[in-house]
Amino acid sequence: MYDSIILRTVSRLMLPILLLLSLFMLVRGHNLPGGGFIGGLVAASAFILQIIAYGPKYIREVFPISFLRLAAFGVIFAALWGLIGLATGQAYMLAFWIKEPIPGIGKLGTPVLFDIGVYLTVIGVTTQLALVLAEEPILYPIPRPPARPDAVAPEV
Amino acid sequence: MLVLIVLTALLMAPLGLFARHESRPVVGWILALIPLALFVTISALAPTVLAGGRVEQAIPWVPRMGLELRFALDGLSLLFALLVSGIGTLIVLYTAYYLAGDPGMGRFYLTLFIFMGAMLGLVLADNVLTMFMFWELTSVSSYLLVGYKHDYPSARRGAQMGLLITVGGGLALLVGLVLLGNAAGSYTISEILAAGEQIKASPLYTPAMLLIFAGCFTKSAQFPFHFWLPNAMQAPTPASAYLHSATMVKAGVYLLARLHPTLSDTPLWLYTLTIVGMTTMLIGAVTANRRDDIKGLLAYSTISKLGTMVLLAGMGGPEAPAALVATILAHALYKGALFMLAGAVDHEAGTRSLSQLGGLRRAMPWTAALAILSSLSMAGVPILFGFVAKEEQLYAAVDNGLPPGFDILVLIAVVTSAVFGVLYSWRLVSGVFFGPRGSGMKEHVHEAPAGMLLGPALLTTLSVVLPLGLLPATATLLQPAVNAISNEGAKISLYLLPSQIGLPLILSMTALLIGAVLTRFEPQIVAAPSPLPPWLNGDRIYDAAVDGVLRGATIFTRTLQNGKLRSYMTWAVLTLVVVVAPPLALFGFGGLALPTLDGVEPFEFVSALLIPIGIVATLNARSRLGGIIAASFVGLMVAFIFVIYSAPDLALTQLLVEILTTVFLVLLFAVMPASFERLSSPSERSRDGLIAVVAGMVIAGVAFAASSVTQVPNISAAFRTESQSQGFGDNVVNVILVDFRGFDTLGEIVVLFTALLGIYAMLRLRPVADPTRDDEETPLQPTLPEVAALLGNGQAGQPAPREREAPVAGKGH
Repeated sequence: MYDSIILRTVSRLMLPILLLLSLFMLVRGHNLPGGGFIGGLVAASAFILQIIAYGPKYIREVFPISFLRLAAFGVIFAALWGLIGLATGQAYMLAFWIKEPIPGIGKLGTPVLFDIGVYLTVIGVTTQLALVLAEEPILYPIPRPPARPDAVAPEV
Repeated sequence: MLVLIVLTALLMAPLGLFARHESRPVVGWILALIPLALFVTISALAPTVLAGGRVEQAIPWVPRMGLELRFALDGLSLLFALLVSGIGTLIVLYTAYYLAGDPGMGRFYLTLFIFMGAMLGLVLADNVLTMFMFWELTSVSSYLLVGYKHDYPSARRGAQMGLLITVGGGLALLVGLVLLGNAAGSYTISEILAAGEQIKASPLYTPAMLLIFAGCFTKSAQFPFHFWLPNAMQAPTPASAYLHSATMVKAGVYLLARLHPTLSDTPLWLYTLTIVGMTTMLIGAVTANRRDDIKGLLAYSTISKLGTMVLLAGMGGPEAPAALVATILAHALYKGALFMLAGAVDHEAGTRSLSQLGGLRRAMPWTAALAILSSLSMAGVPILFGFVAKEEQLYAAVDNGLPPGFDILVLIAVVTSAVFGVLYSWRLVSGVFFGPRGSGMKEHVHEAPAGMLLGPALLTTLSVVLPLGLLPATATLLQPAVNAISNEGAKISLYLLPSQIGLPLILSMTALLIGAVLTRFEPQIVAAPSPLPPWLNGDRIYDAAVDGVLRGATIFTRTLQNGKLRSYMTWAVLTLVVVVAPPLALFGFGGLALPTLDGVEPFEFVSALLIPIGIVATLNARSRLGGIIAASFVGLMVAFIFVIYSAPDLALTQLLVEILTTVFLVLLFAVMPASFERLSSPSERSRDGLIAVVAGMVIAGVAFAASSVTQVPNISAAFRTESQSQGFGDNVVNVILVDFRGFDTLGEIVVLFTALLGIYAMLRLRPVADPTRDDEETPLQPTLPEVAALLGNGQAGQPAPREREAPVAGKGH
């Protein structure tokens, strides 16, 4: 979309770093600033950076998943863990925790899983929105095939 | 047992769908076993009721709202329940032949059984709210039945009209019933009746009764709401016979009779019901004689009889309850039969128009015989049950509870309607079965199948046989119903010939005689002008009302949603101001502590001051890019203030949202002209500015007011301690988000996802006339109006699109 060699190089380097950062934000959220929403936004901005640098087609090829489905999955995933409370005859969304903390992740419980659902939803919604806009044919028409192919420099 | 009876019909309804694959009469014979079983079960309970007992059953539902599934069977319920299940059995059988081969038969049966269950629930309910629920369910199932032939606009219109009018009345009824329940202190019907005197003394009595009347009058097709019933004749004939003559339209009468024992003895009750009932009775009787469609004729005669019933429920007097019960039974017998026979004629001859029918007595001898007998009952000719009921009506009218002068009027009205009753009965019989062969009929008309005549035959036989020796037994059966309507110990005694010749018999004979004479003048009467002034045409008023609502809604929508983003914003912000400002001004400023600048560090002050600078810069930006930068500057300063006040989660979120918003704006603005165009006039701009400033002040006021309210103990400390002990997390904000208030968060992500779905649907699923991105044959020529429409900004007719350099997508791996 925006043809800049610097942007492309940097964004390519930034992608894994931003995704790792988003996971980090998600995991540390329970005790330190962060959480599913912030982590999701960081991950989405990583994807959107790729969209700006390379265009929507690229991200479709590199991440061949439907972000719409990802968002839907996130909502269902988040809602799912609350059912444990119902199944055991208590309130919906009652928190359940594993007693021993898991090394590297910390304590695991249904609120953390719920947060993962939020995380996935935010990624899906934000990225899909950017894709919908970037792939909008009225805004970004398909480059028409040149009248004389030799008039345009061949693509790299 | 009672709950089971109601639930059986409702739960067995899906069985009706078997008729989808096998729309042959045999299915109807099997399905008829359901209502038959209900009829037998209810009959088995009858001895208890006849012995003066009551069958009750209650299941708590929402006890706090006084809502419970409470059912009771007394004399009145018994009569209606037997009619609903008994005629229901015959209708199910009749349908099997009437709709034979129709692929929609399963759907029809399904709705019919739902209606049956609802109607049984209505008449058995002993709680007004339970009753209301079933009341509405009958309206909805009636809508589906009337609209059965939904390919026809007239059927759709008839269905919609019936639904809107009965459900509109139902709303009034609900309010009335709640008021009644409040006045009585209970929603149980038997307790409401016990508290009759208390209710009549209550100021709620008048509004409650008027609202309940509105519900009953709409349901029972009383003037001026009667016009929906003829339009509902678009229903298949089994539904007309069942709902619109024998059962549903009597629901209003049923409720009036139900409330009659202790709530009736007031001028309000007396005059409202008498006047409305009398008007309806006369209009129905006169209009029935002007109809050419035999179902229309029967519909108006039903309206007339419903008016008679309301009149009997209203006018008081010792004989009225007995007359009401006798009329209900007689009408169900002959009108149910006549509707089914009209359907048989329509089915075989292919038309329902009196002017196109004629001379069918040779082709359809059985139908003719049954129709003649039932019509004689409808006309009130002696030795038929209709005559017995008419005698009762006249007895009641002679001895009514109205003041002098008025009572004579009612008597005259009843006799007049009897005269016209003779006339329309004669028109029906002579027009269909006698005279020359009709012009618009099928070539070869055959007798209707035996299964189709079974129901009418049974009902007609009852009309004939009951007066021949079974009257004392019938009176015994009906006595509990009379007891339920009247608590003054009214007795029902049916007889064919009175012991002495009194006024009622003379009037009855006179009516027959005048009616017989009037048959000579049938053409003149048919051609006579309508008794109602032309502006009082319910159909036309209804159409005008529906049109008006639609037009109003269109204007409203066009004003609010004109496709311009800026006006959406204006309306949204204006609504916020209008909703929030008054309560804020009224209640928000008590104990308001104005903020002081104590302890504000200079750098905090400066960073706060940078925000308005950013706003001014945004407003004055000349280019789009400048506007975006200035706006995000405001957002970033807000994030910075969050940082200062150590709210890192908020700051992080604000920062990320700010960045992503900028990206989205850039995505859109990249294809727009670089500089802003002034599309709105200076006056519009100052108006919008005013709204914005006021909205900002309101929100600032809310923030101040919220921070200075001290009545509620602060919850932060509790959250802070609970967060670690209960939520196992140190980050209070996040623990609140995912645990304490997790349900809110769930709601938010659902909103987020729904918004995505909306945007996705708007942009991706719209019909695209332009070539898509995969189709590169024809060059894409987006116009500026298209872009503008997409953004909801600007309007059509902008300058022609300039050639832009299309951004290059997906290049350069």
